[in-house]
Amino acid sequence: MTTGIQRSSSSTRRSPRKKKKNQIPFAIGLLIVIILIGIWLATKENHQALYWMLGLAFGFILQRSRFCFTASMRDPYLTRSTSVTKSVLIAFAITTIGFAAIKYGYFIQELAIPGQSYIAPISIATAVGAFMFGIGMVIAGGCASGTLMRIGEGFWMQVLALFFFVVGSLWGAHDYGWWMRNFMLAGKRVFLPDYLGWFGGVLCNLLIIAVIYVIAHKYGNKKSESELH
Amino acid sequence: MSKEVVLDCFGEACPVPLVKAEKALEKLEINDILIVQIDHSCAMKNVPEWARKQGHNVEIEEIDDGEWEVIIEKVK
Repeated sequence: MTTGIQRSSSSTRRSPRKKKKNQIPFAIGLLIVIILIGIWLATKENHQALYWMLGLAFGFILQRSRFCFTASMRDPYLTRSTSVTKSVLIAFAITTIGFAAIKYGYFIQELAIPGQSYIAPISIATAVGAFMFGIGMVIAGGCASGTLMRIGEGFWMQVLALFFFVVGSLWGAHDYGWWMRNFMLAGKRVFLPDYLGWFGGVLCNLLIIAVIYVIAHKYGNKKSESELH
Repeated sequence: MSKEVVLDCFGEACPVPLVKAEKALEKLEINDILIVQIDHSCAMKNVPEWARKQGHNVEIEEIDDGEWEVIIEKVK
């Protein structure tokens, strides 16, 4: 998009354009290394190569799309921009359907449903923890995936964030049992299909996401309209 | 004569460049140009998006690998 902004020569001189390095040879080398590691992992254990590919694909999409969970929560406050918020909501809707499909698959085969231990009891601890995480991720400039991605991009400041992220995670894991016994178990584990049925559970989730989406969409458009007048 | 202000945000994580740009642009007159230098990819999304939403003219220039200048012309 070119708008043809005329810059005076003084500022152009202040930022001399360095000749960019050609990254293609490096990219080809990296691709070969990635494939070799993939082949090596395929010989190890069945799923390792798949995890390798999924992880790389996830990171690549995250980086290219500038997807950022932090921005999805922060930008509505800062600039009223909700475009990232909406894309995160769409991602939630897709994963809702995907996870429900996986779980339902196990359910109809009368196998143990995977991932049920991740259903955390609803309690005030969830809200307090989410609030604290929110403050932390805005200061650190990224959530877990965002921090990792930006270190990969070469943003060194976030190596610091990663270090304390690891420290905090270890500390959290160390005392997790205590928090679980004293706070989290006060709440109730809710697995929506137990209450609303499988279809009802998915529908309930999607409806909530749709309502938030509509609110986010209206909120995002509001300011630009009022500023035109 | 329109002014040109260069805002150095190298090494600043998102959302610091955005907040700084917001404050710097407030002080400028119409037709002044603000150049925000950033190297945090996240700010590459929200700084131009914010400025375009405000109705300003925006251009992005990659001055080096992973370093950008967002050129904002204040139009109102």
